[in-house]
Amino acid sequence: MLFTQCSIVRGKWGDCELRMAGDGSQEADNAEAIISRIEQKSQKIETLLKQSKPVEALKMALEGSPPNTKDERCKSANWIAVHRALMAVRDVDGMLAYLDPEYYDILMKYLYRGLSTGDRPTCEQCLKIHEKLTDKAGPGCILRSLADTVNTV
Amino acid sequence: MANTLRLYLTCIRNTMEAAMCLQNFPCQEVERHNKPEVELKTSPELLMNPVLICRNEAEKCLVETSINSLRVSIKVKQSDELENILTKKFLRFLSMRAEAFQVLRRKPVQGYDISFLFTNYHCEDMHKHKLIDFVMQFMEDIDKEISELKLSVNTRGHLVATEFLKQFI
Repeated sequence: MLFTQCSIVRGKWGDCELRMAGDGSQEADNAEAIISRIEQKSQKIETLLKQSKPVEALKMALEGSPPNTKDERCKSANWIAVHRALMAVRDVDGMLAYLDPEYYDILMKYLYRGLSTGDRPTCEQCLKIHEKLTDKAGPGCILRSLADTVNTV
Repeated sequence: MANTLRLYLTCIRNTMEAAMCLQNFPCQEVERHNKPEVELKTSPELLMNPVLICRNEAEKCLVETSINSLRVSIKVKQSDELENILTKKFLRFLSMRAEAFQVLRRKPVQGYDISFLFTNYHCEDMHKHKLIDFVMQFMEDIDKEISELKLSVNTRGHLVATEFLKQFI
C-alpha cells in the first residue's frame, strides 16, 4: 500500500495515529483490498478446519485483524472468519497454550463481540474461553479491550 | 445449565473488576460541578467501550464505564407472562427505594430490568470487591425470589379458586 501523504498525529495520551491525507476513494480501495485479503484468509481457514486444526485456524484468523479501518464491512468479514474458528475450538486450554501472548488482547476484543451477539452457542463458547483467558492474561487484558476506543473490532 | 450460569456470573465479575477503576473527575463543561460521566456521555474521551455480555437470547448484562462512574444494567430471564409482571413489579419496588441501596439507579436503562450506578464516591466509601459481591449476590438471588413469588401466586390462586368454586358444588 502506498501512502501518498501521511502525517503522524500525536493523540491526547501520546499514542500515534497515522493519518492519510488522501481522498475518500483511497480508503474505499483499501477497504476492498482488505476484504479480498480477508476472503483469501477465510478460504485458508476453511481448509485448516477441515483438517481438524482449529487452533491454527484461529491463529490465522486473529493475525490479519484490521484494527485501523473504520469500515464496518471489513470488521464484519473478519469477525465471521474468527467466529468460524472460535466455534470449532474444543480444547480451550490447549488453544491458549498454543497462542502467543500478543494475540490475547485481540482475542478478548473478539470474545466481547461474540458475547454481544446473544446467540446461545456462541455465547456459551465465548464465556468458556473468556474465563480461561482471564485466568491466563489477567484483568489487564479486559481493561485494555475496554479502554481501547481507537482499535475496535 | 448451571454451568453457563456460573460462567456468565464469572464473566460479569471479571469485567466489573477490570472496569471499576474510578477516580474523581470534576465536570469539564460546568465549573464546580461533578457529574457521573457515564450518564451524560458529553465527552467521548472520558468514556470506555460499553460491553454487552449475553448468556442467551433472554438474559444479558450491559457494563458501561467512564472515568468516574460505572453503570451496570441487567436483563433478568422471564419465561412467561406471569414472570414478566412479577419481575417488573418487584424490581420497580426495589428501584423506588434506590436511596436505601445507594448504588441502585432509580430507573433502569431502556431495554433492561434494573440498573446500578457506581461512582468514585462509592468506591472511596466502600470496598470495591464488596460492591461487586453485592451485584453478584443480587443476580443470584433475583432468580430465586422471582420463582418463589411465582409459586406463592400460583398457590394463592389455586386456594382462592377452590374456595370460590366450592359454593357451586
